[in-house]
Amino acid sequence: MNDRVSSPMPSAWPVPTQPTVRRTAMKAWMEGMVYLLPSLLLFGVFLFYPLARTLYLSMFSTNYQGAPIRFVGWAHFAALFQDESFWHSVKTTFFFAALTVPTTVAIAFCLALLVHEKRKGIGIFRTLFASTMGMSVAVASIIWMFMYNPAIGIMNRLLSALGFPAVSWLLDPDTALYAVAIATIWMNIGFTFLLLLAGLQNIDPSLYESARIAGLSYWRQLWTVSVPLLSPTLFFVTTVSLIQALQTFGQIDFLTKGGPVDATNVFVYAIYREAFVNYQFGFASAQAIVLFVIIAAITFLQFRFAERKVHYQ
Amino acid sequence: MKNVLLGLLLAFVSIIAGCSSVDSKGETANRKTEVVFWHSMSGDLQPVLEEIVNDFNQTHSDIEVKPVFQGTYEEALTKWNAVAGTKEAPTIMQTFEVGTKHMIDSRQIVPVQTWIDKDQYDVSQWEKNIVRYYTVNGRIYSMPFNSSTPVLIYNKDAFRKAGLDPEKPPLTYSELKEAAKKLTKKSGKETKQYGFSMLNYGWFFEEMIAVQGGLYVNHDNGRSADATEAVFHGQEGRRVFELIRDMYRDGTFYNAGQNWDDMRAAFQAGKIAMYLDSSAGLKSLIDNSPFSVGVSYLPVPDGIERQGVVIGGASLWMMKGSSEKEQKAAWEFMKYVTSPSVQAKWHVRTGYFAINPAAYDEPLVKEEWKKYPQLKVAVDQLHETKPTAATQGALITVFPESRQHVVKAMEQLYEGVDPQEALDQAAKETNRVLQKTN
Repeated sequence: MNDRVSSPMPSAWPVPTQPTVRRTAMKAWMEGMVYLLPSLLLFGVFLFYPLARTLYLSMFSTNYQGAPIRFVGWAHFAALFQDESFWHSVKTTFFFAALTVPTTVAIAFCLALLVHEKRKGIGIFRTLFASTMGMSVAVASIIWMFMYNPAIGIMNRLLSALGFPAVSWLLDPDTALYAVAIATIWMNIGFTFLLLLAGLQNIDPSLYESARIAGLSYWRQLWTVSVPLLSPTLFFVTTVSLIQALQTFGQIDFLTKGGPVDATNVFVYAIYREAFVNYQFGFASAQAIVLFVIIAAITFLQFRFAERKVHYQ
Repeated sequence: MKNVLLGLLLAFVSIIAGCSSVDSKGETANRKTEVVFWHSMSGDLQPVLEEIVNDFNQTHSDIEVKPVFQGTYEEALTKWNAVAGTKEAPTIMQTFEVGTKHMIDSRQIVPVQTWIDKDQYDVSQWEKNIVRYYTVNGRIYSMPFNSSTPVLIYNKDAFRKAGLDPEKPPLTYSELKEAAKKLTKKSGKETKQYGFSMLNYGWFFEEMIAVQGGLYVNHDNGRSADATEAVFHGQEGRRVFELIRDMYRDGTFYNAGQNWDDMRAAFQAGKIAMYLDSSAGLKSLIDNSPFSVGVSYLPVPDGIERQGVVIGGASLWMMKGSSEKEQKAAWEFMKYVTSPSVQAKWHVRTGYFAINPAAYDEPLVKEEWKKYPQLKVAVDQLHETKPTAATQGALITVFPESRQHVVKAMEQLYEGVDPQEALDQAAKETNRVLQKTN
């Protein structure tokens, strides 16, 4: 007997034997799965199955009904990477995201700061700034379509009243993407604004008090208190906006149909046209898979690098 | 606890299962045969169509036709593709003219010729030019219903102000250019009124070629054998593109984009004095314009003989999946909508042609033509059409995609691309998809 080994403690609980442990763990796992089942089922039906099906279809040639006819392997992908219009739509999509995401977040942040303080009647402004959230893409697009109409639209009337030459907003390949971007920024401001305002409201007021006692200017307060504490929200809205921008569809369908000369033919619109106008479901599926991989990679990178700068309380 | 969960789960599964088992067809309790009718008539056209269906249901006690709006022709066709051959498919489906070959190749339809033969129905009473379009390999595949053609529409008041005779619209390219120059009004750098416009839409391009006698694809427009090659980039197509380029360069042509409503709004606002539009919307256009509206034939290049126009619009298709009884009921409905009195109403309320020319002798039409002589112009243009492969219209499955490439080519014109180069590119792309599907 070794004296370093203490004598067994008289235990009140019987030590469970190995099989019992496994059985309890199994039971707990099963119970957990039952709780998860509804959401797993929902995800399965509406996400996992379509994803698997898309991957499957991407390797087939299909008929007009979308039924697979002939196995082609990776041929669609190979054709895709050689397709000039594919790369053009990738470029257009990223340029569009670069135009809309930072601008939306910056404007929404400024608006949130403006109405953050409690003043009389501030609720009216908060409602106004958030109001675009309640508008569907379809309605907003129609409004912008009329505003951009070169013949009767308000935009050109304003320009001509100010003495500028008329611009054919959506009809000129050089301006169309910017015009759609402006409309998109306007549409997305409401949602982004609301989240950022909620984030600002959650910051402990005592921190601002301490900052004031320490004699920090408004801008220093903004930079040392508001921004770091708001960073989780900022990170969230940027990530979500970016994903949304890469998946833009509605505005394009209503305003430009991908034209003129493919200037606004963003990724998702190109996929839609391939599948539902040209009935090339296999090729469209391959494009959708590529889009999925791109978005997944970007979101991963965002979490990997940008999230380090996020300050969680 | 587990029982509750299980119960919830079962409820959930049955909800999902319930979604897919909604039975939209079959017979109703009072033994009426139900005919589901998918259509794409929106705006001012929808209430007129629903009125016609209503009248039919009231006069036919054993049949109930249910009209279901399914979005634009393109959208409806996509939806139909998903359900064709299943129980969810409608009994009657309205499809645009360029979907004709797609429908035939789907093998999910019954040619109406089957019922024409069974019923010994006399089709010689129909408008010849319309029947010609829907006849493929000697058989009529679908029931022509709403047919239209493009026309030149112009602002008579603007003609008067510019010193032009409002009763003498331009008929040739050089007359068109001349008139457009006089109609274009500038104040400083800004153009207040443009002379002419044409939507960036494949249909107008196809019609402008056909009116010169030009073909869109080979093998007699795909009528004598499956088309293998696009031929629209020949001299006829080039003339159309050069016309647009020249007028755009002169500053007399207005780029209206791809949106029909934008273009009509521009015309009604006085921004354009002449443009091409479908005869289908004539009635409401005349009613809603704050000036008097003139209607004329499509212009042709100088020295080229006018061949006429290709029929546009849509037709009604009968589905193979439906029962004999449903097909019979659908056939009754088809006969009803093409009868002279219904067609007379349809023509004067919308501007679509009457499938049955006897409709033009109905008092209703005669009266309306006195008030709206413009409606008659489109009918005359159709009647003067010469029966050739060009005016019969092209028959290809990949029309929607080919049109995209033509639209892109038209848009490139405004960017200064050479007409022939833009056309060649569109033809090359069309060939690629033609060969892919053959």
